[in-house]
Amino acid sequence: MSSAGVISFLRSSGGGEAGRGVRLVLAFAALIALAGAPRALAQTTPSTGQPEQHVKIGFVTIENDPRYEPLRAYERIILKTREHPLTGAEVGIDEATALKRVLNTDFTLERIVAKSPADVAPAVLAAIDAGAHFFLIDAPAEAYKPLAAAVRGRDVLLFNVSEPDDSLRRDLCAAEFIHVYPSRAQLMDGLVQYFISRKWHDLLILEGPLPADATMTTAFEHSAQKFGARIVAHQHFKPGSDPREREANNPALLSAINRDFDAVFVADDTFDFARTVPYHLVRPRPVMGSIDLEPVAWHWTWERNGGPQVNSRFDRKSGGRRMDGPDWAAWASVKIIVQSVLRTRSVDFAKHRAFILGDSDFDGAKGLAMSVRPWDHQLRQGILLAAPYEVVANAPIEGFLHRVNQLDTLGDDEPESKCHLNK
Amino acid sequence: MRIFALALLCVLAIDPAAAKDTGLIFVSNEKSNDIIVIDPNSYKVVNDIKVGRRPRDLHFNADHTKLYVACGDDDVITILDVATVKVTGKLKTGPSPEAFVIDETRRRIYISQEEGSSLAIIDMDHDAILKEVPTGAEPEGVLLSDDGKILYVTSEAGDLVHEVDTASAAITRDVVVGLRPRRFAATPDGKDLWVTGELSGAAYIVDRAKFVVAGSVPFLPPGMRKADVTPVGIAMTKDGKTAYVALGHAAHVAIVDVAARKVLGYVLVGKRAWGLTLSRDEKTLYVANGLGDDISIIDTASRKAKVSVPVGRVPYGIVVDE
Repeated sequence: MSSAGVISFLRSSGGGEAGRGVRLVLAFAALIALAGAPRALAQTTPSTGQPEQHVKIGFVTIENDPRYEPLRAYERIILKTREHPLTGAEVGIDEATALKRVLNTDFTLERIVAKSPADVAPAVLAAIDAGAHFFLIDAPAEAYKPLAAAVRGRDVLLFNVSEPDDSLRRDLCAAEFIHVYPSRAQLMDGLVQYFISRKWHDLLILEGPLPADATMTTAFEHSAQKFGARIVAHQHFKPGSDPREREANNPALLSAINRDFDAVFVADDTFDFARTVPYHLVRPRPVMGSIDLEPVAWHWTWERNGGPQVNSRFDRKSGGRRMDGPDWAAWASVKIIVQSVLRTRSVDFAKHRAFILGDSDFDGAKGLAMSVRPWDHQLRQGILLAAPYEVVANAPIEGFLHRVNQLDTLGDDEPESKCHLNK
Repeated sequence: MRIFALALLCVLAIDPAAAKDTGLIFVSNEKSNDIIVIDPNSYKVVNDIKVGRRPRDLHFNADHTKLYVACGDDDVITILDVATVKVTGKLKTGPSPEAFVIDETRRRIYISQEEGSSLAIIDMDHDAILKEVPTGAEPEGVLLSDDGKILYVTSEAGDLVHEVDTASAAITRDVVVGLRPRRFAATPDGKDLWVTGELSGAAYIVDRAKFVVAGSVPFLPPGMRKADVTPVGIAMTKDGKTAYVALGHAAHVAIVDVAARKVLGYVLVGKRAWGLTLSRDEKTLYVANGLGDDISIIDTASRKAKVSVPVGRVPYGIVVDE
């Protein structure tokens, strides 16, 4: 088990004047040294009274994760910046710090940066050996399979905070993971429910050339079928301005089809084509998917269920950045861990695992109480359908009913799930 | 001529200058930044007062000459003169003041500060924050013991109720209750504290002596699911026999037998019912429907809503001048 892939180890303390973020930068070797001497670690933590326990939460990222590359226009103008959700986790730690007197627990966030997806598993194993049980995994899908194999059977819960890939829930199906970030199936189901509720049934698909575009489109088609929407045409676009390929690169021509449609779904991971779709269609129709109406885990304009307070705490902590889906998932993951300590009043990891994976309700500031699905460990949650300056709706949309829990109208319900961790 | 005289009489009867026991209904509106004043007989809006940004909790002083209004986005408590319905003063608070109680004897106001995760103790005569007590995240409901010595405050995001010693301004005990505790009522015998748990769909009963959860009352109007039931506002009759709980998204108010800890019935109200207030004679219950921009007025004897009255945008709290 090599630790060569781990380039640095940063520790951000939730104690004392919380809010300063990452404070100590330790070499990885120092971590191992500290791990062998828990008392030494405790002394570095400012404390009031004597905390009974110390909960370390690892925050695992990889260097140069392409998912966080800024999206640029060709003039090198940045259209969207995308940030690792560390600040989301820090807001959760701050909230736990406010409860320190009640919890008798110190929570610390320990940032682990791996060089590549393949280096994630050894880095996590090293931190497990150093006494951590909880990890927020902010890595791309390819890191999950080796990670799942490495931690199988260990006393560990890994919270997926940024990866929507359905195959992690369906095929990998690993008991040590909790998918706090919504699956692509949940996201697309929420989106389609809204269009069905408006009786905008007839949809045109514009799919980009990348594998990510195909994955997104497949999930959308599945959702459309599930809720009875009609795909009137499925077009493949090819970004560019070559006039010989105008049938594939011009949104007006792509949408000039015989049948009418109510709305357009565009799947474009690069975002560069998607931004040219609104107002360039042959008919005046709304756009959804990669632009305009997007299904998200969180949005900075969400103003119900305590959303403004969460957004405002995040805004202060981040220095004005707007809270995004992965930030929410990191915040919610820490909140779930803190909730487990609050309710079990135990230092026993088995009790934490039983509480979190049991029938427990969690508050995610999205309305309906959230819980972990026992079959694939996906967190049940509302999906926000966000226009640029407004959350248009919070799915499940009124009228979509389920025999047990309305939230299970979104994503893989138990009967159709390929993963059955509870059996 | 007679009609005119009658009209004049009406105007006189509701003239705020006539002061006490006007019966006028004051409603704070978070998004229209005003207090709407409603005539109790005609249900007509007789005044609309801009008080500051995001007015939330509001209370009269003991002789009803002044109305104090917490303005969440201005970080102040605005003071209205009840007779002239004019803003006469302001008291500074910390970030995002929400709910408060007034202790007239000690001339203090205790107010939860949602964004500051703290409770402020304010000198109501000198515009001074005397002390701030750190609380769990998103403090909301506050309740003061009859002798003014103990204050209770919820932490919505911390699932806690704090017990605060008002003399030393220190938290003395904490109790973990249900998910997202919001507001309080106290039994008149001083034994129990009722706390609504918004995401648990229940009210929790805290034994004030032992400071532990001694019981709970779950709510579920017929045909509803647990997830739709989000209790927030709570009011108790003076004899401590009956409690009324506003069930938020379930659009109902629950009527509870306090001694038996059982739900007696449900009354249909408007969208996202949170704030509620009993009239002095306890024959009328006023309910603020936050997402319906109206209030429901309920006859407590027949357990029916008599009327709903449009107010401002996102009504929060209701007080009656009587």
